Parts: sequence; C-alpha cells; structure tokens
Amino acid sequence: MTRWTRVTMSVIFWAFVVYLFVPLVLMILMGFKDSKFIGFPIRSWTLEWYVDVFRDTEVLGVFLYSAAIALASTAISLVIGTWCAVLIGPRRFVGRAALFALVCLPAVIPGIISAIALRIYARLLEIEPGMLAIVLGHAVHNVPFVALVVLARLATLPASHVEAARDLGADEIVAFFRVTVPYLRPALIGASVFCMLLSFDDFIRSFFLGGYQPTLPVLIFAKLRSGMSPEINAISTVVLVLTAVLGLWAERSSRRLARTKPSGAA
Amino acid sequence: MSGAAERAVARASADGRRSRWGSLLGSGLYGRLDAALAVSPTRRFALLAAVPVLWVLIAHVGPIVQMLHVSFLDAYPPSVGQVPAYTFENWTSFFGERIFIMPFLRTLVFATTLTFATLVITYPVAYFLARHVKRENQMLLLLLLLIPFWVGEIVRTFAIMILLGNTGAVNLLLSWAGLVERPIPFMYTRFSLGIGIVYLTSLYMLLPLYSALEKLPSSYAEAAADLGAGAWTRFRRVTLPLTREGIASGCTLVFLISTGYYATPVLLGGPSTTVFAETVAGFFHVAGDQWPVGAAFSCIMLMTTLALAGIFIRLMGRGGTGLLK
Repeated sequence: MTRWTRVTMSVIFWAFVVYLFVPLVLMILMGFKDSKFIGFPIRSWTLEWYVDVFRDTEVLGVFLYSAAIALASTAISLVIGTWCAVLIGPRRFVGRAALFALVCLPAVIPGIISAIALRIYARLLEIEPGMLAIVLGHAVHNVPFVALVVLARLATLPASHVEAARDLGADEIVAFFRVTVPYLRPALIGASVFCMLLSFDDFIRSFFLGGYQPTLPVLIFAKLRSGMSPEINAISTVVLVLTAVLGLWAERSSRRLARTKPSGAA
Repeated sequence: MSGAAERAVARASADGRRSRWGSLLGSGLYGRLDAALAVSPTRRFALLAAVPVLWVLIAHVGPIVQMLHVSFLDAYPPSVGQVPAYTFENWTSFFGERIFIMPFLRTLVFATTLTFATLVITYPVAYFLARHVKRENQMLLLLLLLIPFWVGEIVRTFAIMILLGNTGAVNLLLSWAGLVERPIPFMYTRFSLGIGIVYLTSLYMLLPLYSALEKLPSSYAEAAADLGAGAWTRFRRVTLPLTREGIASGCTLVFLISTGYYATPVLLGGPSTTVFAETVAGFFHVAGDQWPVGAAFSCIMLMTTLALAGIFIRLMGRGGTGLLK
C-alpha cells in the first residue's frame, strides 16, 4: 500500500463521517434559530422551540405512545426470536433451513410491501388500525433481528455448560433458564435495544397500521408535509439525543458483557 | 417426577436451602406437567417447535399469502352482503399503463444505481477502517459511524432537506464562495432523493463489507506482492474476490431496503421522481376501495425485487443460507 492511497483512503473515510454528521448537526442548529423560517443564515438564537415542545402535551402523548409500542413489540419479538434461535441453532432436523429462511423473511421484504401486507392482514384478522396492530406489525418485523443476534451468540456457547447443568440434576427447562439465558444476556440486551430503536423510528408500518393517534415519526412526517418549522427540529433533536444515548448504552453494556469469558458468564 | 429432579431436590435440601429452582423441580405439579407433556424426545421437540413454526406460518407467511389472495379479488375490503369474485384484472391493469410502469422501472433503475453508488462510496471507508485503523480504535470509529443510523428514517430525511434546501448549507457555502448567484434547486430532484437514500442505507453496505475485510488475513495481499503483483492487481485479484460475500450481502440488503422507502421519496423527491412505493401507497390512501390493485402491484414488486436479489446472489456465487452453519 503506497502512501498516496493511504492518504486518499483516510480522506474518503473522514469525508464520509462528515457526510453522516453534517446534516444532523445542521438540523440540531436550526432548532435554536430564533425565526419561524428554516434556513441560513442564523442571526439570533433561542430556546423557545424547546420550551414549546416540552410544554406541548400532544407531543408528550405521542412520545409516550411510541415508547409504549416500542416496549410491547420488543417484548414479543424478544421471546419469539429467542425461541426460534434456540430451536434452530443447536438442532438438526428436516426443514431447518426452510424454517430459518421463513424466520428471516420479514427482514428482506421491502418496507412498503411489508406495511401493505400487514395492513391487509390486520383487516382479515379484524384488528382495527391502532396500537395493537402497530405492536404486532413491529414485532413481526423485529423477530428476524433478534433471532440472528441470538443465533450468533448461541453458536459460541460450549455444549459442555448445558451438559454440566444436566448432570447436576437440572432438566432441560431449568438448564435453559439458568445456563443458556444468562449466557445469552449480552445478545438479549443488544437485540432488545436494537428492536426498540427500530420500532421507535419506524415510519412505514406505523403509518399504514396506525389509527388517528400518530407515532412520533408519523407526527414529524405530517408536520413536515404541512411545512418545515423549527419546532420539528426541536422534536427531532430530542429524539436524536435519546436514541443515541440508548444506542451507545446498549452497545457498551452488551460489548462489556460479551467480553466476559464463557466460564464467567455461565 | 424424574430421577434427575429428585436428585436435584435432594441436593438442594441437603444444602439446607431449597432454591427457587430446586423447589420448582421438586413440586408435584411441575413433575406431573413435565411427565404429561414431555414423555418422549419427539414430544419434547414438537413442544419446542410449535411456537416458532406457528408464529412463522401465521405472522410471517400469512400476510404475504393474504396479500396474494386479495390481489385476485374484485373488491376488498368486502362490502356487506357481497361475495367477492376472482379476477385477473388487478394484475393485468399494471401492464399497458405508463403511469404504473414508469415508476416501477424508475424504482428498479434507481435502486440498482444507488446500490452501486453506495458500494463504491463505502468500500474505501470499510477498507480503511478494517485495514488501516488499529484494532483497538476500530470499534470506536465503527461506533461513531453507527450513531447516525440509530436516528430514524424521517429525522434523517429531514436533515437532508435542511442540507440541500434553497437556503440550506450547501447553497450557503456555494454563494459564499461566489460560485453561484442564485441558489441551485437541489431539492425535489433525483439528486436530492439519491443523496437521501444513500444517507439512509450506507450502513447496511458498510457493515457486511467491514466484516468481510476484517476477516481477510493481510498475508494474502503480502503473498501476492511477493509474487510481483502491483497494488491494483492485488486489489482486483485478491481482495475484491475474497470479499465478494460481503459485497453480495451488502448490495442485496441495500437494494431491497431502498426499493421499500416511501416517506423519503415523498419528502425529498418531486413529480419527476415518483417511485413505485408512492404508486402502491396511493391505492390505500387516496382511493380506499382499490386495495386489490395495490395488493397486486405489491406482489409484482415483491416478486421482482426478490427475484433480482436472488439472481444477483447466484451470480456472486453463493447459496442462500451462509448464516446457518
């Protein structure tokens, strides 16, 4: 590798970082602009938009609604996804590859099609558009991610751990809860935060499966369509900070846990 | 109760403290339940497999099958007292209408172009990260790249709107530099939509590329160098072929994801960039009673995208289940 290519590569890398961050930084800056009009230049600054957002009970309600949906759908996908991984991971059976493909199916269907299929299906099951429909829709979409993360961690669990538990008198269920689940913990933490973020950020499924009450992305979309205002910047910035903090925390804790040796984790 | 459970209980009692789990194993109800439900290995397996199989059939396959079913109906949701008849019209109406075929082709061309663009942009980024950064710093930089991707589709689309608007940062810079007198209308064009989609999807390309490059031992390139290969030859003959798995999965993901965006084309695109997602969504929002047409169009799009992705993966020379050992 010549010096020249090395320099070029690092320039490309940092340019990419700038490309990722500049739009978000600009968006955050605009939230402090003392004008209804979004755009440069910014002549005076204000916190007024944030005060408005925190006073606005509608925004708070929408936020709590989205958070509740994220929690509920994550709980479902965590249980089902782990269950699928535990079935598929260590066993060999007829139709295993087919089952694995079907578990992953929702992850490869383009968003709009998934949303429409779920909307039609909700009508068949007579689930009204609203919270239940969104929760189930998000759960379906997130199951593959949980299953993949748990499968990866499960592959590193030494079979001897479970066998030792069995020798000590635990049956399969007790061995699962006392050996396998603690070992999977970093994967489970990582997967659940990832699911919460996916659900909280999801627009397309919430848009098609929702009733009159919007989720946060649907609300921002609606506001954007009726015109940009710094209020949207303030809401978006709050969301950005929250998701970044949650993501960083999850990344840190699941990495720290994953570093513990198998003997320590079990 | 099984012998094993009895032993566990005995041990727990001998310790003088019956643990929660010990008492579970020792309880008569649990023993009876266990004996009734899990008599044979087959029975145990059936119990374990029931939930995933049922979930997958009902929740993953069900919606697609029902969408296919509705696409052949003449009316859906059914009105009271009316039995829907089967028809092929929803499917045939797609062919022969320019306003349907154009967005469809545009979506495919767009997604393909953007997938290629994302690959070209992120490959050097992933290469730099995996081969030039010290191992202990790699995770930190990867985390830095991850942060923007935890922020949702809508917020990031909005951020691009601010960047590219007529009073946006790019136009501000250009006019400061004296390059333009009037702002360039970036927004609501193919350009703004492209920038936005690449912004949203690049991580799905970056991560598979990074993990493929990171696994590649540097000794391979060194061996090629010893045999006299120049930098470009080493890249083309060694690095690129050995990371094709990462390229294949990254491209497939980005292609499938970018065809599925709806809000981003609505917000960043204009009349000349209508994508198929907008066409399909129109049957559900504007005209409520055209669900069957929307379902048929969704099926056409789903089959086309999955077929293209499948062909692509085949061409790259990998069977599907690489994740499953």
